[in-house]
Amino acid sequence: MHVLGIRNRGGDGTVDQVVDRVVDQLAQRGRVGVVRYDATIADGTHVHESATVGGDVTYDLGADGDWTATGTGMSVEDALDRLVPECRYAVVVGVENLQYPTLVVDAESSPDATAGEEAADDTLLATVSSPHDIDDDVVDAIEEAEPYETLESLVARVKQSPSADLAGAIATFTGRVRAKDDEDDAPTQYLEFEKYEGVADERMASLEAELEERDGVLAVELFHRTGVVEDGEDIVFVVVLAGHRTEAFRTVEDGINRLKDEVPLFKKEVTVEDEFWVHER
Amino acid sequence: MSTEWKLFADLAEHAGDRHVTVEASAGDTVGDALEQLLDGRPELAERVLEDGELRSQVNVLRNGTNVLVEEDGLETELGDGDELALFPPVSGG
Repeated sequence: MHVLGIRNRGGDGTVDQVVDRVVDQLAQRGRVGVVRYDATIADGTHVHESATVGGDVTYDLGADGDWTATGTGMSVEDALDRLVPECRYAVVVGVENLQYPTLVVDAESSPDATAGEEAADDTLLATVSSPHDIDDDVVDAIEEAEPYETLESLVARVKQSPSADLAGAIATFTGRVRAKDDEDDAPTQYLEFEKYEGVADERMASLEAELEERDGVLAVELFHRTGVVEDGEDIVFVVVLAGHRTEAFRTVEDGINRLKDEVPLFKKEVTVEDEFWVHER
Repeated sequence: MSTEWKLFADLAEHAGDRHVTVEASAGDTVGDALEQLLDGRPELAERVLEDGELRSQVNVLRNGTNVLVEEDGLETELGDGDELALFPPVSGG
């Protein structure tokens, strides 16, 4: 799933038009999810027409599978996690510091005024003053950025394989940030991954293709995040759709081992005490 | 024509830059391009060389292919517009 942020900065009234225009453009290419952050939504203050009061999560279902929902305890990331298995795009409105390409809506903007800011913030895609500023370049730019993937989205993808009829097994591996190797270790705060752009993606794609050639292996998905990955977060996924469990397990193990050996990715570890490149230890 | 080096992880830190353009071009060798890269970058040279030879853990790629494994090592001849990469052992996952 490709994620686009939209932030308001002096564009009151224009933001909704920009969101509508973006969603309209994206919807021509695939299913779109929208996450709106609104700090005024708080327990008891957000007016919702649901007849039920008191449930922690409420789904109101209608004809043809239409629905609305309200609930408590959901972060922006939780919302993206729910969208990702079934949406090709997510538009996130009103969230600061999103680690994905972001449009800033400013009715007064001029290209010159924001040139310096764009250099300083590598997630800033463009500053727009009107919905007419949205063109195919925006869509192309969000497709080029690292997608949002989870174990669930990759599992959903292999289930869509044309050979899924032959599959009796899905095996997966999830690599995550380990705070400590030992009880006495200084806790890891985050890892930062650097990728050889282009070459890393080619190697991952050819590794997937090689693993898919094995007898009984029907589909393989590999995904590795880059940039900062915090303590406890997931880093890498290997998902294998296979006829039977034996080849599924073997292929998952070989897949993660070869990814770690062959794909040009570099890991810097930052603990509460120290910072180092992992290959130097 | 010139040739671009891409550097990764601590090698980029030792070089002070992630991208370095050198004069070596088609007909020259990867070794020529490496010599130009290391010239004036003693920290990087110390990191990647041992007794004048490339340390065994350092990888050199030309257009995504490892020249030390699949080509003629530092004798590999450059083509037009080649992209070279220098990096330590990979450490994904």
